[in-house]
Amino acid sequence: MTNIVWDNFFRQSDQDQEVLDALRQTIVFSTLAKKELRFVKDTVHVRTFKAGESIFRQGEVGVGMYVLLHGALDIFVDSFSSDSLPVRSQLVTRLRGGDFLGELSLVEPNSRRTATAIAAEESSLIGFFKPDLFEILDRQPATGVKILLRLGEVLGRRLKETTLKVTELKEDLRRVSEKL
Amino acid sequence: MSMVISQSSLMRANRWKLIGLMALLLLVFVVVVAVENLLVSSLLAFVISYTLGPLVNHLERQRVSRGLATAAVFSLVGVSLVFVSLVLFPYLGSTLSGLQTDMPRFILGLGRFISEVEAKIHDIAGPLIKLNVTANVETQLTQWTKDFFDHAPSFVKTLLTVMLLGPFLAFFMVKDGRAAVNLMLGLVPNQLFETALSLVHQINFQIGQFVRARILESLIVGLVTTGGLVLISFPYAILLGVVAGLTNFIPYLGPIMGAVPAFLIALVNGYSGLEVLLVALVYIVAQAIDAGVLIPMMVARIVDLHPVTVIVVIIAGAQVMGILGMIISIPVASTLKVTVTTIYRHLIDTRS
Repeated sequence: MTNIVWDNFFRQSDQDQEVLDALRQTIVFSTLAKKELRFVKDTVHVRTFKAGESIFRQGEVGVGMYVLLHGALDIFVDSFSSDSLPVRSQLVTRLRGGDFLGELSLVEPNSRRTATAIAAEESSLIGFFKPDLFEILDRQPATGVKILLRLGEVLGRRLKETTLKVTELKEDLRRVSEKL
Repeated sequence: MSMVISQSSLMRANRWKLIGLMALLLLVFVVVVAVENLLVSSLLAFVISYTLGPLVNHLERQRVSRGLATAAVFSLVGVSLVFVSLVLFPYLGSTLSGLQTDMPRFILGLGRFISEVEAKIHDIAGPLIKLNVTANVETQLTQWTKDFFDHAPSFVKTLLTVMLLGPFLAFFMVKDGRAAVNLMLGLVPNQLFETALSLVHQINFQIGQFVRARILESLIVGLVTTGGLVLISFPYAILLGVVAGLTNFIPYLGPIMGAVPAFLIALVNGYSGLEVLLVALVYIVAQAIDAGVLIPMMVARIVDLHPVTVIVVIIAGAQVMGILGMIISIPVASTLKVTVTTIYRHLIDTRS
């Protein structure tokens, strides 16, 4: 009996340490001090998903981001070739421990998920949602501002990448139309 | 690689999780309702935690730990309340004992007033209508007064229990509420988790706004009433202000119920028309401030109950819990309305 209690106690503190490490390595929380990280750790939610279980589906309203603690996630995007044809899901990428996803939902109101995430194996995820961010901003604004700044940086980087891709595509399109 | 779980077994597992969560919530509800004084104490605890929560958050923003901030705010408010009650209790005691000695006189005065009206009706209508209200009203009123003072000791016992248990529960709600909510959310199945989290947050925010607005509103109405009555040197000014503040929690009927005792006192003391007019003016000014400034500014945006709903809810509250039921029925109904509206709006917003 005592062993079970102690095992659980250590398992809990092991998981706490794991969550702290994962948060520290995630760019959004990377500038936080130890104390601030512990506060964030008490605010976030650790969720376990079985292999094949969906984390979220494309088109659903999302309220926050996930950091993959361990396991693997497959990201699918539905392509609508035509109204009459069935929707085809295409595997876009596989995420591994330390990767994060869904961060746009933290700042966008009624944000819809742009892809479907399904656990490829049994996976643990840290969920960090809009209400959690508001709670941090209300109780520890300095910590909240640090998170927001890094979040802005991440979103800015994504925008840059997208702009680059759009420019490349435009260039390709121009070349193709010239050939025709 | 671990086996991929089939969708049907996943749904089954989630359904069981959901049933377990519902059963747990039902159990908590049954315990709260069944244990004596726990329902009222919990309601008081919610009110206290919604009122003091922002103060604790404010201290926490100044880098004070949550435990220390909670302890500091609760001690400060507790000590202030003790000081206020040290001043107020002797006053209330003497007022109540004065009221107890005055009561037979009030009842007699009221009886006399009704007799006069009866005699006038008799004069006008002649022997056609036979009325004998006076005796009935007097006996009934005497009985009610006796009941009130007979029941006072058990009421005080309940009040003391609630007054101790409420703040005790509130302390832990403010300090560890977040952890408790997260623990409960941990039991929610994965596919409902984001919705549940979002709803809990929105409902919490709306109810918090509502509770703080109503408390501030009633406090201001009570203070204005007391101030006005002191100004025209009317007896029992503080007691009447407290009554006006408390009954103000009941929309539509509350303001009238709050003013009745003052008019009864004026009536049986044989106040002149001008004095009665002044008393009426005090209540009208307090209600004008409430209706013209406080409600549009703070409450109306949050919750608005239809007059018919208000009446039905108050009657139901009175049937279940008496006077206390009348006062808490409206906040409970408003809370339910906020909850249902928030869920409805959420469903509309998230409809794909």
